[in-house]
Amino acid sequence: MKRRVYLDHNASTPVHPEVVAAMLPYFSERFGNPSSVHGFGREAREGLDIARDQVARVLGASKDEIVFTSGGTESDNFAIKGVAAARGRGHVITSRIEHHAVLRTCQLLEKQGFDVTYLAVDGHGLVDPDDVRRAIRPNTILISIMHANSEVGTIQPAAAIGRVAREAQVPLHLDAVQTFGKLPIDLDAIGVDLLSFSGHKIYGPKGVAGLYVRKGTRMIAVQHGGEHERRRRAGTENVAGIVGLGKAVELRERDMAGEATRLTALRDRLWTGVQARVPGVRLNGHPTERLPGTCNMSFRHVESESVVLGLDLSGIAVSAGSACTSGNVEPSYVLVAMGVPVDWAMGAVRCSLGHSITAADIDYVIECVVPLVAKLRELSPVSV
Amino acid sequence: MRYSAALIEHFRNPRNAGLMPDPDAVGEARDPECGDVARFYLRIRQGRVAEVRFQTYGCGPSIAASSAATEVVAGLDLGALEVLNPEGIEAALGGLPPDRRHAAEVVSMALRAAAQDVRRRQGMEREGVRA
Repeated sequence: MKRRVYLDHNASTPVHPEVVAAMLPYFSERFGNPSSVHGFGREAREGLDIARDQVARVLGASKDEIVFTSGGTESDNFAIKGVAAARGRGHVITSRIEHHAVLRTCQLLEKQGFDVTYLAVDGHGLVDPDDVRRAIRPNTILISIMHANSEVGTIQPAAAIGRVAREAQVPLHLDAVQTFGKLPIDLDAIGVDLLSFSGHKIYGPKGVAGLYVRKGTRMIAVQHGGEHERRRRAGTENVAGIVGLGKAVELRERDMAGEATRLTALRDRLWTGVQARVPGVRLNGHPTERLPGTCNMSFRHVESESVVLGLDLSGIAVSAGSACTSGNVEPSYVLVAMGVPVDWAMGAVRCSLGHSITAADIDYVIECVVPLVAKLRELSPVSV
Repeated sequence: MRYSAALIEHFRNPRNAGLMPDPDAVGEARDPECGDVARFYLRIRQGRVAEVRFQTYGCGPSIAASSAATEVVAGLDLGALEVLNPEGIEAALGGLPPDRRHAAEVVSMALRAAAQDVRRRQGMEREGVRA
């Protein structure tokens, strides 16, 4: 069988077999509605309680501060719209490199009369906490910053931003979809009031995620129709999914530290190997303050989608830094915000590693990348 | 796979790729929206395409369309090359997804530009003779 190497873990991860095993009974034997008072309902409710405990414990939060949602996108929407709805008007601070779940939501708020500041980032993709401080106005109601960027992996100085938020008494929303279960998160040390997290980035199922809401945070529900999740998110809970998320979190708590060290070494092996053998390549993102498994590289004079296709034919899955939709190619807005020149941004490829990846896989990827980029450059009229 | 077997085959093993020394004509086109650049080099003998080579910067479909186009236009007379349409190239690829049709368009534009370059150079030669 052809070798297959999956380097797209920032997009999604395989569900861990122990997670699948934990979920299965909740599709069949313990299928009840957790809102029902009978035994079937109580069994499902018990599954939710266990999962809520697992998540709360790893975050150092209390159980009633965890709200389960359908995905990271919903969590981000809930955090921002929930605070905005509670306040009615005001000013929000975010950055230019946030996930679209945050950016599009903030753009909607602007249409509704809110003011939004989109902070610039430096060449490594870092938000300057002093910029956050300078952006704060008397009517600022929320600061929403991603903990680590999904494309380039840069980890923000969350604690410094948290200090600024605390001093100004503005709630801080941290979009931790890419860091939850990968890096330790100390809610109190950072000063987080709202934190988005997701299941399928950490070997849990898709369609389940959550939002941590610090007690006392002023926000209201944005989805109505029931008393679920302490009246903060109406809708019958995705019980099996939530049980899976809880189990995934428990497993990450056990494996996280060792995995971070291992993936950092493999990530650096990939970059060092490619850099040594491919001319005209650059690393996008912070050299050290970066997600353990993320390596975003730009190959100049090569279009990223052709690299993705070429590697796919060798069984290697990576993602393109530029997006071609309806014949219109846009360089990544993250890379553009970081000041990466367009001719480099168009050749950006993201490799995101995970637990199945070995050193032999990385060496195979390097062996495939080197001739592929050379061939594409040979074909290219813009490199000559 | 969202691409046809023919497209993948052309991407994997592009035909007639690379520079041509001292060509009779060169044509280039850039897709203003996606930024893809296709360049074709022609050798013309007795009013027909005797040899064609390409260089293309772009996505996989653009590279594959360039390769397929070199087979489509081989032996074609200049008149036919001047009115080359993208449909023939797309057919040679076994079809393109709707959001990748630009690949055949930019390639046909570049080849039509190459045909115009042949005419331009021929005109210059004639003027040179008259002078």
